[in-house]
Amino acid sequence: MTHYVIIGDGISGSSAAETLREKDPEAKITVITDEGEPLYNRILIKEHAKGKLPEAPISIHDEGWYEERDIDLSLNTHVTSVDTDARIVHTHEGDELEYDKLLVATGGTPTQLPVDNSDADGIHHFWTFQDARAIREHADQADKGVIVGAGLLGIDFAAVCGAQGIEADYLMRGDRWWRYALSADGAEIMHEGMRDVGVEPVFDSGVDRFETDDDGHVTAAVDPNGERYDCDFAGVAIGLTFNTEYLQGAGLEEDNGIVVDEYMQTNVDDVYAAGDITRFYDVLLGEQAQNGSWGSAKEQGRIAAVNMAADEEAEAFEWVSSYSITHFDFPFLSFGHPTLGDEHAERKYSDTEWRRIAFKDGKIVGGVLIGDLSPQSKFKQLMREQREVADQAEVLLEQEVDLDELAAPQEQ
Amino acid sequence: MASSELPSSEHASRPLRLECVESIPAGTTTRHVDQLDTETLDTFYAALDGDRSLLEADTDLEIGEVIVFTEYYRVDHV
Repeated sequence: MTHYVIIGDGISGSSAAETLREKDPEAKITVITDEGEPLYNRILIKEHAKGKLPEAPISIHDEGWYEERDIDLSLNTHVTSVDTDARIVHTHEGDELEYDKLLVATGGTPTQLPVDNSDADGIHHFWTFQDARAIREHADQADKGVIVGAGLLGIDFAAVCGAQGIEADYLMRGDRWWRYALSADGAEIMHEGMRDVGVEPVFDSGVDRFETDDDGHVTAAVDPNGERYDCDFAGVAIGLTFNTEYLQGAGLEEDNGIVVDEYMQTNVDDVYAAGDITRFYDVLLGEQAQNGSWGSAKEQGRIAAVNMAADEEAEAFEWVSSYSITHFDFPFLSFGHPTLGDEHAERKYSDTEWRRIAFKDGKIVGGVLIGDLSPQSKFKQLMREQREVADQAEVLLEQEVDLDELAAPQEQ
Repeated sequence: MASSELPSSEHASRPLRLECVESIPAGTTTRHVDQLDTETLDTFYAALDGDRSLLEADTDLEIGEVIVFTEYYRVDHV
């Protein structure tokens, strides 16, 4: 009987466990997680932190879900090391689990700001359900906030402050939010959304240090210009540090994440990886890439499991990801790899509608839609077809995108 | 409370509507739009814009569930 061990019970690990049970009914399956609760909806925890959504709808699986599928679930269990020669996983309690095939799906941990007092009370990072509970409880009592991290994770803190009535300053190092994917026009729509909920963007700023009171609670952030921002609540979201410490000595190739091919295989036999932690081979992009979206992580878990169960390269990961921000009156969606590309096209349609498309070698590799998200499926289709369309950007920037208006693809 | 009624033009499937709700009871199945497949997402956007009828057979939406978008929308029969 094959023993599959999965480290991590996020959406990729859980998706893999479910698929493995379907593909290999007789196998032994073990899922290990350092969290104290089974899979929950990581996308919706921000709604809980905002004070809008109760806890119950956020839970996805209870322990009975694993029992029904004869999957061993180990909660609150830290993996300390993996011996890939002996095929053994070591845990903090001294247990040793032998595996035939291993899936690493441990994701990341929020990166802490390397400044004084960054661990003070009242300074939050946002990744787990426990984080969301603490943020909700504190935000409900806070009056003045500071937010750090001008990206997709940081803006969740802006939404929390807005929903919880915290007047906040959003300190950004550059001249706009998510400067790697948005031009000034697109970013300004997002800035207006922040201002509408009581969050003021502050540009060419950041944090040099935090100040605290005698009890160790944050009282202010001081930026590199010497400006002081009072706060009794702070949210920091400057990125993720991937959880690979326990893999030291395991021989896995890493490059700011675990390197896998399109079958989710690492360089070590019978060791696979899935989810945020991977630097995977993106067959559409033609190079290694990373992605932190829910759909991508779920699909990577499924693909890894299919190939683990088949014991061959049965199915490749081919996916166009998307990530929405739904905190404001207008929606926002990024798809593919909007920060990559060698060419870009963009247009503003109104005060709340904007579109930007990124091309590489003439093909769409990603983009951002604000306000009107309706073209998303057409752009994803063009990405999957790998059509060279950069020279027809005008068609793609029409308010109503009609793919029939594109010139027919050239015969290869 | 706003609602967007989406009558069916054909009878291939029962028509659905998306009702904007302020709060979500504890036992309600809830999904974020990022959990919808591309086709359902397209239909969802179009239905909100009033451009397309929302038919049960065209989506993987379930009666009674709530979809989190810029508002919370409960899926119901028309």
